[in-house]
Amino acid sequence: MLDRLGLRLRILLFFALLAGGAVLAVAAGLAVAGRHGGLPPEAVQGALVAGFAILGLVVWVWFLFDHNVARAIDTLAAAIRARAHAGIERDLAAEAKAARYLGDLAPAAEAVTRSLIETRSALAESVARETTRLAAEKSRLETLLADVPVAVLLCSAEHQLAFYNGQAVDILGGGTAPGLDRNLLDYLREGPIRHAYDRLAGAGDPDAASDLLCATVTGARLLAGRMRVLRRREEGVAPGYVLTLRDVTADIAAHTSRDALLSEVFDRVRRPAANLQTVIGVLSELEGAEDAPDLSAAMRAEIEALTLAITELGARYDAIQSDWRPLVNTRSGDLLDGLKGRFQADGLGLETESLDLILQVDGFEIVAFWAWLAGKIAAEGLARAFRIVIEEEDGPGAVMRLCWQGEPLSVGRLDGWLPGAMGRDTGELTARAVLQTHGTEAWPEAGEGCNAVVMPIRSVRRAGRRPPPLSRKVVYDFDLLSKARNAAVADTRLEDLTLVVFDTETTGLSPSSDAVVQIAAVRLVNGKRVESEVFDTLVDPGRPIPPSSTDVHGITDSMVVGAPDIAEAGRRFHKFAEGAVLVAHNAPFDMEFLRRQEGAIGKVFDHPILDTVLLSAVVYGQLEQHSLDALTARLGITIPEEARHTAIGDTIATADAFLKLVPMLKARGLETFGQVVAEVRKHGRLLKDLNG
Amino acid sequence: MNQPAEPKRILVVEDEDNIAVALDYLMTREGYSQQRIATGAGAVELIRETRPDLVLLDVMLPEVSGYEICQNVRLDPALNDVKILMMTARGSAMERRKGLAMGADGFISKPFELKALRAEVRRILAGEPADDSPDTSRAPGEARHA
Repeated sequence: MLDRLGLRLRILLFFALLAGGAVLAVAAGLAVAGRHGGLPPEAVQGALVAGFAILGLVVWVWFLFDHNVARAIDTLAAAIRARAHAGIERDLAAEAKAARYLGDLAPAAEAVTRSLIETRSALAESVARETTRLAAEKSRLETLLADVPVAVLLCSAEHQLAFYNGQAVDILGGGTAPGLDRNLLDYLREGPIRHAYDRLAGAGDPDAASDLLCATVTGARLLAGRMRVLRRREEGVAPGYVLTLRDVTADIAAHTSRDALLSEVFDRVRRPAANLQTVIGVLSELEGAEDAPDLSAAMRAEIEALTLAITELGARYDAIQSDWRPLVNTRSGDLLDGLKGRFQADGLGLETESLDLILQVDGFEIVAFWAWLAGKIAAEGLARAFRIVIEEEDGPGAVMRLCWQGEPLSVGRLDGWLPGAMGRDTGELTARAVLQTHGTEAWPEAGEGCNAVVMPIRSVRRAGRRPPPLSRKVVYDFDLLSKARNAAVADTRLEDLTLVVFDTETTGLSPSSDAVVQIAAVRLVNGKRVESEVFDTLVDPGRPIPPSSTDVHGITDSMVVGAPDIAEAGRRFHKFAEGAVLVAHNAPFDMEFLRRQEGAIGKVFDHPILDTVLLSAVVYGQLEQHSLDALTARLGITIPEEARHTAIGDTIATADAFLKLVPMLKARGLETFGQVVAEVRKHGRLLKDLNG
Repeated sequence: MNQPAEPKRILVVEDEDNIAVALDYLMTREGYSQQRIATGAGAVELIRETRPDLVLLDVMLPEVSGYEICQNVRLDPALNDVKILMMTARGSAMERRKGLAMGADGFISKPFELKALRAEVRRILAGEPADDSPDTSRAPGEARHA
């Protein structure tokens, strides 16, 4: 119970107890002394005086105690709490003065709070600095995106808008202006968007993008766009996507009207010309050559020229008719998956068969076309189960075939369906328009035991291995914008240097008789390795590669067939390394091979050079092992077995080792390139420093 | 020229009078007997009735298209002997393929050379396969089973 009371009250109670006890003790002493008779009044007076003196003394000591200990502790505690919780930054000097009798408590408290305040203000400062930096990056990014002449949208998997720029407002506006957390499908027809999203999300390749063509809900605008699905961040949450859109209404309208004009020109000129040709031809043959042979010949020559012109121009027009339309390379597998989904949703059966092909089509339109056609055929009662086959043809094309077991479809019926709109998802789009877009036709055909509708696809190729995904990330480092350039490399801090780390593989160890078979390099900018800036090439050494060397780096004679020679590869490497400091592990070896070829290359490798062997010697002392394996092992860098002794594998390991050595060098006070080179010279016994 | 005992009979299905008249002269001069119908409707019935040796069939016809006539003729086994030469004023490669897929024996784009038409008519009547001239080959190629 006592511990719930305040400190001052508790101390007051202690002193009250002490005073009460002392007075009681005096009174008890008086009582014992006066037990056997009366006490002399002097004794009583003395006891009273003693009693009061004790009381006074206790009160005085209490007062001092209360003032200098209890209240000082309370004040100090309150002040510390204020600093801990309320963020007050004034120091504890006033409180410390009040608590000067508490020994080291006040100074200790003062030290703790001072360090707290310092930490806190350092933290606040760095938060503020970071916030400013982020705000600056954000505003740069905003400026960038605001100036991009396309609409950029960021959406969740449910198509809710999370980001959009000004162009997006222009493009999507019209009805309600777009807003955050509104649904994109309130602005755009959903078919192409969903189709592209499902395809990309299903593919699971974060670098894949899909081009698409979609219309606003009102159909007033036609937009060409590209979608990229974001990397999945959390398990169980479908990833969002970035959509860029360009308004192609005017483009397409212009193209369409020009197309229509051209088409009409051919149509209207061709018929009379054709008729004229026949009539004149027959006429001149009937009359023979008696009357006016030269006139007749002239007439026939002219009409022949006209005929030829129309035929040729018509053929050329026919060939380019669909060229300007934004058709997309679409994988047959993706197309067939899309079709399966649609057929299933419509309650129709579908089997598919195709080689792995790349078709140049608008996937959404093609899927819509076949699904619509199968629906029509099913409604006609001809079939409910279908098979879609894509077959290659001689030449660049292929045919798509929708087959069914059952009654055939008449061409008149099919042609009658084509001008109708295909349905809700596709708005005004007609099947005829789909055929026109793809520059093709569709017709029924009877095959072995089944009937089919056939549609040739004009441009198809075999899918090779998927090309390695190009890193299409926006490469940026905003710190470069604010970096003050040091003119002299020597005064440049290590992390501000632009470095090219490289490695070569060779036919052997002697620069005089051996040659380079591979060069790889990476760039380090602003203290970071730029993942997308990689140089990696095989080099034709112009001589056989000894098997002993092949055992080391795995490069065979057949691999370097068709590779550039050292003159070409060296030029390209020189270009890659322009203006950078070269870094290599055991640089003299690689540099010797390059410098011997400077004549053929036509460039001089006069770059400043750092050698990780020497840097390792500076950091770890000369007695350690400085092989690349030993160095990377010490630094905790693992080179994957399959990458060891490939030029690029060793290069990346060297680069990572270099980046880890930089802070160790700085810890030794070696901050700039010049300081490092000066220190390295002291280790010249180990290896030759190449900087002159 | 080898004139058969009985002249070959040709039916021209063509809605444009001017070219039909010219074709009439030409075919007659070549020694064929010819008849003309100006609409698509009734063409199949007329073919069934008269069994011509060759139908010169325009694609763009009022009412029933040339494709449809061609398909219907080919669906009737009794009309197997009737040859069909399709003519169109929009001779794109895809239309040609469609025509040939419908069972035409030849396909000729307007405007055509009289020489070419004559040769094509003669070829078809003689029952020879299409040669490799651009007007008769099946560009851009038949389906290849992969």
